Amino acid sequence: MIEAVLTGAVRGGTSIVFAGVGETIAERSGVTNLGTEGSMLCGALTAYAVGIETGSPWLGAIAGIAAGAILALLHAALVLWRGANQVATGLAITFLGIGATSLFGQDYVSQGVEPFTPWAIPGLSDIPLLGSVLFDHDPLTYLSFTIAPLAWWFLFRSATGLKIRAAGERPIVLSSMGIDHRPVRWLAVAIGGGLAGLGGAQLSTAFARTWSENMVAGRGFIAVALVIFAAWNPLLIVLGAYLFSGAVAFELELQARGTDVSIFLLDAIPYVVVLAVLALMSRRRTHAAPESLASVFDAAA
Amino acid sequence: MTVLRRIAERPSVRTLGSVVAALVVFAALLVAKGADPISGYRAMWDSITRDSGAFGDVVVRTSPYLLAALAVVVPARAGLFNIGGEGQLVIGAVTAFAAAEVLDQHAPRAITLVVMAIAAMLGGAAWAALAAALREWTGTNEIISTLLLNYLATLLLGWLVFGRWKDPTSTGFPRTRSLTDAERLPIIWGRVHVGVIVALVAAVVVWLVINRTAWGFKLGVLGGNVEAARRAGFRTGALATSALLAGGALAGLGGMLQSSGVEGQLRPGIMVGYGFTGILAAWMVRQHPLKAILSSFVLAAVAVGGNGLKIREGLSAASVNILMALMLLAVLGWGGARRSAASR
Repeated sequence: MIEAVLTGAVRGGTSIVFAGVGETIAERSGVTNLGTEGSMLCGALTAYAVGIETGSPWLGAIAGIAAGAILALLHAALVLWRGANQVATGLAITFLGIGATSLFGQDYVSQGVEPFTPWAIPGLSDIPLLGSVLFDHDPLTYLSFTIAPLAWWFLFRSATGLKIRAAGERPIVLSSMGIDHRPVRWLAVAIGGGLAGLGGAQLSTAFARTWSENMVAGRGFIAVALVIFAAWNPLLIVLGAYLFSGAVAFELELQARGTDVSIFLLDAIPYVVVLAVLALMSRRRTHAAPESLASVFDAAA
Repeated sequence: MTVLRRIAERPSVRTLGSVVAALVVFAALLVAKGADPISGYRAMWDSITRDSGAFGDVVVRTSPYLLAALAVVVPARAGLFNIGGEGQLVIGAVTAFAAAEVLDQHAPRAITLVVMAIAAMLGGAAWAALAAALREWTGTNEIISTLLLNYLATLLLGWLVFGRWKDPTSTGFPRTRSLTDAERLPIIWGRVHVGVIVALVAAVVVWLVINRTAWGFKLGVLGGNVEAARRAGFRTGALATSALLAGGALAGLGGMLQSSGVEGQLRPGIMVGYGFTGILAAWMVRQHPLKAILSSFVLAAVAVGGNGLKIREGLSAASVNILMALMLLAVLGWGGARRSAASR
């Protein structure tokens, strides 16, 4: 049971890790992107389609990154160039992603893709418990282990990361140094969308190994929610993503074992967990929010 | 030229231009898909104008969209985002059905329907109250909480429809018993039910309340500047909560109108996407309650037109989400009054 839940947490949480880390980078620059869900969908379908056409899941994953980033750039264009409201734009972007992947995904519904197959790491995968939880996964999942530390280093140790954080906290500081904060935000939003696209690619070509309409099913929104939980720290995103997908794995395990409790109530567990954790954390977390994000939550705009 | 420019700068013209641009981009995407956009648009047009019944479908679809839009409008006035219309619609339908179960056909039609409507509004408000309470007591952002509550509402509906409310005679797809005539909204014409008038009245009432009452004024102050509202001695927490509850009640009513006016029973997947469409409808008109009537109608026409796209052109029904999203994006970026683009 424990092994199944932990393995499921990692396997199912990978796509959310990518998307959540990406959204953290975007929000650190001062832009919230509720279009993350849409970027994941576009990444999932594009990776799947390119995987089928070329026979290479790797090319698929790269195409998925590009698709997620392109959709996010549309978000950036509206928000940063046209001054549109971030929340409304993000939701519309997700709507666009749902519709576009439904239209273009029709032909791929029952097709099989050459999937990413698990690479069991020799030696390490034989360790009891830890082996199957950590060392028997598809390559994108291994990549996800490195993405959060990389993003942390990028945000807190690199020059570009410093600019991104400055854009999110006090754009005026950048201006005083002769740096325009807007290209920095464009970049951060594009990185966020690209990572969401990669998350989607993992979902369709490694996790589910199939394409179905609207298959992301809210994972992108969960990723956005987790950014607050993680206090805009990419390392904590991993914890949140595994918590959510661990709860999913837990209730699926209960279902598999047969229980009298309705599956609908079991399905509610992961969402209740995320809501409860957010409620417990929110008071402390809000202070960690990048200062420019505050203007996002201004419905009058 | 200056005359032309002045016309082009008018907000209504810019909005219209945005919608046309969205239609053009959608056509381009259909071409990319290998479909014929002309026959696609003709299929959509035919499916909403084919006969009076088809047009009635558009009118009927307008009402849940409009109420879901109003559920965004009122909280937005106070500076809050209600993304929970989707769940509040569902809960409204659920509590209205529960009220019908409690009355158990013992009350006359008028009373039954009024009780169901009140139950729906209370249900929707209660669902929004969860988000309001989390916001007030724990500081949880209402965008996130209302979003997550949508999933829980859908699961709650599934639990009831597959469980205690499942009609034992239903084969195949599980659903509840059919509502009796006394539990159904009266029909005015064709398939158009009284709920359409209820929705229109709700839009006017929201407009009046926002613009003509002290409460509406206070919401506006709160939405404009929290600090100003606090200095003026308003109880900002209670105000924000009341705005979210009012929004939830409106969406809840929308859920009852759809279940009692159109569906006639509950089933899983009822009103999927209606709440999000309501958000689009509200934002297309910058949260103006009366203009939301028009935007809801336009989106209803697009949604019903999507059936034609599916049946005649074989394209997926969700494709029209593209058109809806493009319309909003065009309006957000280029429609309405000119705004300073460099503000963010």
